[in-house]
Amino acid sequence: MTLTVKEELIKRSPLRVLEKSISGGLGRGNVGVLASRKGVGKTACLVHIAADKLLQGQHVLHVSYASRVDHIVTWYEDIFKEIAKAPKMRAALDEFDELIRRRVIMNFKQDGARTEQVLRSLEAMIVHGNFRAETVIVDGLDFVQAGPADLLKFKEFAGRLGLEVWFSASLKKEDPLFDERGIPYELAAHLGAIDVLISLQHHGDHVHFALVQDHGRLAPQDLRLKLDPTTLLIAKEARPRAR
Amino acid sequence: MTTDIARMRNIGISAHIDSGKTTLTERVLFYCKKIHKIHEVKGKDGVGATMDSMDLERERGITIASATTAVEWADHSVNIIDTPGHVDFTIEVERSLRVLDSAILVLCSVGGVQSQTITVDRQLRRYNVPFIAFVNKADRVGANPLKVRDQISEKLGHRTVMMQIPIGLESAFSGLVDLVAMKALYFDGPEGETIRIEDVPEELAAEAAARREELVDTASLFSDELMEAALEGRATEALVRAAVRKGVLSRQLVPVFIGSAYRNKGIQPLLDAVVHYLPNPAEVENRAIDLDAGGAERVLAADPAAKTVALAFKLEDGAYGQLTYIRIYQGALSKGEELVNTRSGQKIKVGRLVRMHADTMAEIAEAGPGDIVALFGVECASGDTFCSPGLNLAMTAIYVPEPVISLAIEPVDKGSADRVAKALNRFTKEDPTFRTHVDPESNQTIIQGMGELHLDVYIERMKREYRAEVKTGMPQVAYREAVSQAVEFDYTHKKQTGGAGQYARISGRLEPLAKGGFEFANEVKGGRIPREFIPSCEKGFRASLRKGQLIGFPVIGVRVVINDGQYHPVDSSDIAFQTAAQGAFRQAYAKAKPQILEPVMKVSVEGPTEFAGNVFATISQRRGVIVSSVEDGTFSRVDAEVPLGEMFGYSTVLRSLTQGKAEFTMEFLKYGRVPPHIAEMLTEQHLEAERKKSQR
Repeated sequence: MTLTVKEELIKRSPLRVLEKSISGGLGRGNVGVLASRKGVGKTACLVHIAADKLLQGQHVLHVSYASRVDHIVTWYEDIFKEIAKAPKMRAALDEFDELIRRRVIMNFKQDGARTEQVLRSLEAMIVHGNFRAETVIVDGLDFVQAGPADLLKFKEFAGRLGLEVWFSASLKKEDPLFDERGIPYELAAHLGAIDVLISLQHHGDHVHFALVQDHGRLAPQDLRLKLDPTTLLIAKEARPRAR
Repeated sequence: MTTDIARMRNIGISAHIDSGKTTLTERVLFYCKKIHKIHEVKGKDGVGATMDSMDLERERGITIASATTAVEWADHSVNIIDTPGHVDFTIEVERSLRVLDSAILVLCSVGGVQSQTITVDRQLRRYNVPFIAFVNKADRVGANPLKVRDQISEKLGHRTVMMQIPIGLESAFSGLVDLVAMKALYFDGPEGETIRIEDVPEELAAEAAARREELVDTASLFSDELMEAALEGRATEALVRAAVRKGVLSRQLVPVFIGSAYRNKGIQPLLDAVVHYLPNPAEVENRAIDLDAGGAERVLAADPAAKTVALAFKLEDGAYGQLTYIRIYQGALSKGEELVNTRSGQKIKVGRLVRMHADTMAEIAEAGPGDIVALFGVECASGDTFCSPGLNLAMTAIYVPEPVISLAIEPVDKGSADRVAKALNRFTKEDPTFRTHVDPESNQTIIQGMGELHLDVYIERMKREYRAEVKTGMPQVAYREAVSQAVEFDYTHKKQTGGAGQYARISGRLEPLAKGGFEFANEVKGGRIPREFIPSCEKGFRASLRKGQLIGFPVIGVRVVINDGQYHPVDSSDIAFQTAAQGAFRQAYAKAKPQILEPVMKVSVEGPTEFAGNVFATISQRRGVIVSSVEDGTFSRVDAEVPLGEMFGYSTVLRSLTQGKAEFTMEFLKYGRVPPHIAEMLTEQHLEAERKKSQR
């Protein structure tokens, strides 16, 4: 059986590597967190994850606290353009208009938007707006302001509506950021509400992905993924050369 | 009237309905005229005194309705620009906001920030218009100007500062404490025309001192000089004013004034504030689109010596004949001067040039940058830009979208018919997105526009302004048809029925054209179709586009390539090739998987967050796609793409679902494919109509 261009694109995505390392993917009802300092590339990763879900025919709800809506729209356009640059993938771009209809952006003001209200609005979109989201991206939530209790509310919400929820968490404290197991100090208290925790760190000129927690299990592991500095796509990391 | 640009103000007065905008505007005109009269008509004191208030009302009723009114205050000339009451279609709102440099935002002391205040504030923000706030109706029961000030800060997010405090409130409202001069102001005389200045009443001294300190502190943010002076305890009136002015001009500060237009209190200080704190035309940056440079933006210079750039923003059919109101942005305008309308390319000569005063019209010889004047007898549409020859700029985007909705109208009686025609003629000149024609098949007058509300406004205006009543049909969506697949064609047209025969054969292919429109390419080689008949072929194809075969709407997005054919030395003719092209199109079209397209609108719904769920539901029920939602505290906005055909009656639905607290705007976005079940329904309806027509 031959694969269509799109199927090929999905199959070869570096995100399959990520899924393999976390027991086949984040899964419905679960909460995943990408943690790093500001400006390392969390938003790019989240948009890449969202784009991958859209390609697979899913509905994605993109929740943003920080950026303006038009910036997010541009992120998606850029990511799809990069994906379509791969050989033979031009056809995929033609579907962009169709794909993007399955994405809704919801923007909230950081201060003043209480988690209960945010969740009420998300539920209104899914239920009243008849938007059958499978994946929710939450970018820019302030984890200091929104404590572990807020994250648990998200987790409960994800379970109740059967959603896969990916967060970005900006780490703001001074070094060292991580303890000996790789857990960010700032997120130690949140750990109970997080199913998959991945940290992004600069290693030389690359950004590396490290798995910290996998479905409740502490499992420090290098994911062999990097963020391509020019395309801002998640990419497979070349195997370390033998010395 | 001064022509010194520093002493010129172009302002709008914006408000929620019932905030007292009309009363305030009347009082402004009254006080300005009063001053004017005292200076000019000495010895005629009796005139003003005997003038009964009804007469004044009536006279002002006329002036208020005009597009702009020029008044004088404290040696400054102030143009008050009418801001449209309806905000449903952008072209008119944009135009009026383009013309004013600053605004007075009127709020009610009781009602405070209301939904329309929020809308107005958003428009001012979008167009970067500086403004001051006037909290009106301080004499009303429940008046609380300080609470309203807090609402401006919290709900609209502005840095605010009290410029005055009230002396008494509700029925005891008797005057104001001016916090800059630290004096009490009372408004004496039957019309409050005499200002009595006294010391601050003792019982208000402490509050006034505290508010004054707050004023100086806030103003200091915009002036280091004031800050230093304040530290040394010598903050002068002039320093405070200059600092507040800076804050207002940069849109970082909203000074709050208080009064009661109805009780004639607080109007003169507000006029002083217009002079003190609002910008003159040279202090506002205006940009134009350079049509010779691919639409690049150019900053205009408020310099009388520069080449002229002016915008015609309103046409008026008044007692004086046809007037075109224009605002000059750059350069000057004088009688006899030649200008070019950059939309039409037409040259005009400036004839009679007038300035509209509160009560009269004055003929002038010339006008400078920033000025707003009216021209007589100029053929143009509103929104047109006039430039000196050699410049090719446009003040507003020249792109005019195609109408997406049409409505059949019929005058209720014979007398109305003439007035309807007159009204339609006027409206089409005013608004390029509003069009009209007579349908040749039904002989009905059809009006076309950008949405249901858009057409409603004009129906209402016909009634009000032209006393022309019409019956309306059901709104019709402007569908389109398009092909989705490339196909080849080979068609022979042959006719031999005595006399000269007809013969033409053409072959080629028909393809979808993503960018829309129509393209025709000739790849015929070796003279298989003689050169003179190629245009005939193109003509034939073009004619076929006017009515698609699915539902009879125009076909868009087609490319036709002809590459072969045959002709007959005697029987081939222009008409034979046209007919052949139409036959070829018919043949190819059916095979090219034609589709019905519908206009898809970009819809924005704004309102309190509590109704967001309802709004999401209305969009989803209308085959809409929600693009984004933005929640800002208690206020939220939903952007969506919804087929126009589903939007009929939406304003009523939205109003009832949200207790009138949400509002929406929409504009044409694109043509999108109609889903199969609706396409089927439309095709059936079309066939049914065709059947009926043939039976008749």
